[in-house]
Amino acid sequence: MVTVTIDGKALEVPEGITVLRAAQSAGIEIPTLCDHPHLTPYGGCRLCLVEVEGYRTLQPSCTLPVNNNMVIKTNTKKVLDARKFVLTLIFSERNHFCPYCQVSGGDCELQNAAYHEGMTHWPLQPNWQPYPVDSSHPYIIIDNNRCILCRRCVRACDELIGNFTLGFEERGARSILVADTGVPFGESTCVSCGSCIQVCPTGAMIDRWSSYLGHEVKFDSTKTICVACSIGCGIEVFSRDNNLVRIDGDWDKPISSGVLCDLGRFKPMVEKCDRIFTPMVRKNGTLKAATWEDALSAAASGLKSAKPKIAALISTRQPVESLHLFKQLFADKLSAELVTTLEEGAKTALLASSADELGKPFESKLEELKSSDAVLVVADDLVLEHQVAGFFIKRNLPKGTSLVVVDAVTNKLGKLANKNLNPSSGSFEDVFVGLSSAVAKLGLANSKKNISAEALAKAAAATGLATEDFLDAAFLLASATNPVIVYASKAFSSALRDFASLINAKLVSLKGEANSLAASQLHLDKPFRPAGVNAVYVALGDDEITQKMAKEIEKIPFKVVQATYASALTAGADVLFPSTNWLEQTGHYISADGHVQEALQSLKPAEDVLSVRETLIKLAERLGFSLDENWSKDVHSRVAPVLIEK
Amino acid sequence: MTKPKISSDWMAGCAGCHMSLLDMDERIALVAELAELRSTPITDLKHPDESGVDVGILEGGINNTSNEEVARQMRSRCKILVALGDCAVFGGVPAMRNFFTLEETLRRAYVETESTDESGKIPNDPELAVPTKVRAVSEVVPVDVFVPGCPPDADTIFYVLSELAQGRTPDLKGDKLSWY
Repeated sequence: MVTVTIDGKALEVPEGITVLRAAQSAGIEIPTLCDHPHLTPYGGCRLCLVEVEGYRTLQPSCTLPVNNNMVIKTNTKKVLDARKFVLTLIFSERNHFCPYCQVSGGDCELQNAAYHEGMTHWPLQPNWQPYPVDSSHPYIIIDNNRCILCRRCVRACDELIGNFTLGFEERGARSILVADTGVPFGESTCVSCGSCIQVCPTGAMIDRWSSYLGHEVKFDSTKTICVACSIGCGIEVFSRDNNLVRIDGDWDKPISSGVLCDLGRFKPMVEKCDRIFTPMVRKNGTLKAATWEDALSAAASGLKSAKPKIAALISTRQPVESLHLFKQLFADKLSAELVTTLEEGAKTALLASSADELGKPFESKLEELKSSDAVLVVADDLVLEHQVAGFFIKRNLPKGTSLVVVDAVTNKLGKLANKNLNPSSGSFEDVFVGLSSAVAKLGLANSKKNISAEALAKAAAATGLATEDFLDAAFLLASATNPVIVYASKAFSSALRDFASLINAKLVSLKGEANSLAASQLHLDKPFRPAGVNAVYVALGDDEITQKMAKEIEKIPFKVVQATYASALTAGADVLFPSTNWLEQTGHYISADGHVQEALQSLKPAEDVLSVRETLIKLAERLGFSLDENWSKDVHSRVAPVLIEK
Repeated sequence: MTKPKISSDWMAGCAGCHMSLLDMDERIALVAELAELRSTPITDLKHPDESGVDVGILEGGINNTSNEEVARQMRSRCKILVALGDCAVFGGVPAMRNFFTLEETLRRAYVETESTDESGKIPNDPELAVPTKVRAVSEVVPVDVFVPGCPPDADTIFYVLSELAQGRTPDLKGDKLSWY
């Protein structure tokens, strides 16, 4: 700790932090524009200039580290004049006319800074130089005329996402924000994560959807979690009059600290599907609108007469409350022959049996990726799925983190890897046996376990890879201090676990949809083989179903479906219940690495639309069963692949 | 004591700031009690008194030689010049045309608009004022009080006028300071 004096206040602050952070920690406000708490300091805007005793000139507090006994003043006339001058220069550079800007009126950090300094006008008028506007991107518009060159977007793209799409062309006043080598943004390597919009302090980067729908201060906002995949990123949902306006990353939620992918940020906006608003019952061959009472009666009597020849399917996008009620009603009360999820356990069953066998969890938190210096990714393309996990890896590559990718072909993430292992034959197990043997041969194994030297040659023969490939990959991974292995569940085997323990690697798997792990914990992980059943209940919610599964369901005589959107499945139902979508319901989710989080309702559903959870309770009542809503015990009663929070 | 005299005029603006001035409703009677309203675009008197007024208010930016004259006359006849609204303070919406050449904007306005037929031509009567780049008032004559806003709130205008009428300099901050 060092002692600094800011505006006459003596502070004890950690060595190495900046003057700006020291001031902020003591509640002393220094205005900033280019600074962002989640990005490295840049020192580009000069708004945070402060006076430091003994320094010849004013210093940018965002890049100046504290020194012991430093005396800093943040509100002298010299500082205040400099601030106004800095803002004057920024306003004079480009088109910062507020009345025709989307963020004016509370959402613009530049405007707010000017108000803060009491600026009633611009001492220097702009020079009327037009700059390019790029609207080629499906979600994002770049307006260089509003840009203040703070490079927050560039830093977010580099440091948070590791995508390096955004950059600046030209120098000084001519600087223009461009994608890649100056290609249209919509044709660039952008992955549409939208972090750039979220950090932009002005209207230089705006999203098409929420633009001109009003000011952020007038929106309703709900901090909740994304359920697009099993990572569980924190989001902030903005709505106006119950209409979805925008989704931002929640900087305060630790899992992804504000970062989102396109599935979380933009897809919910552009998705347009036919909603189902009312219960329906099939009468004389056609589906007709019905009351909830009638629909529940029809479902109950159909299920009763089919019992126990019932198949029950639920989406893993449903909260654990729904999964738990579903299992009780169908497995315990109705003794249905088949109770499972749309995922059929395909992404968890191998992991669950490994945990059963070990009697304890063997996987680690996803967070390990953030500090890993070597990552092995097996059979998962983190550029396409679970993208945020991919961001955690990609952003560390420039810091020297090694990446090895094992997959049948070189996938998109593999293009960034130090080493790709693409076995042309054999199994993933052969690859891990080969890697273990290679580690032993290099003398880097952390145990004296007897590993046959021939195993390497055998693995090479089985997989069609060269022994050199195994040795290269093994060296990268085994020489790291915190290696992490991320794998698709299908690639899991005890050989993978053995390899991990040989090099002290952490294991992380991303499983399937948002509540994949919770479903596994509730034993909802059987394959869907509905031979001989007479009734099926599908709690689809806002999920989608595979064509193969839909075909199987078609053959079943009596079908009850609860769905948010119309589809072939709902058209063929005998009883159809309308369902809330993920934003309209509340419930808990267990992320792939065991975080238990609650998703909150951020939009109100239409009057006749109920959640799967509410529907199951009503249906159970109708059938004369009472259900236990305490899910926590059941979730924890099975050993999980990863430690689940209590 | 005689009441301070106030004159106002508008140039390259939309009259919205004067509308906002009228939007102060019955408080305009209060202003009339404190000050004497002389020439304005909405009263019969069209030019500020040759003998001078205390406060001159200008709405709109300056986009031609006629506006320049209005601004110079107001400046020469008032003690305190107020730039009212974003156009007077910054150039505002009319200044969007500064990002194009004058030739381009005139052609667009008089020849190329969707409602113009083949007879459309750029007016060139020597009696007409000559268009210029759109400028903030302060680029042509010195301004004493800046009241930004598009338009400024009636409350803000009332505050500014009542302060000036009572011989004080208005200090715009907090809720009263808004560029839009």
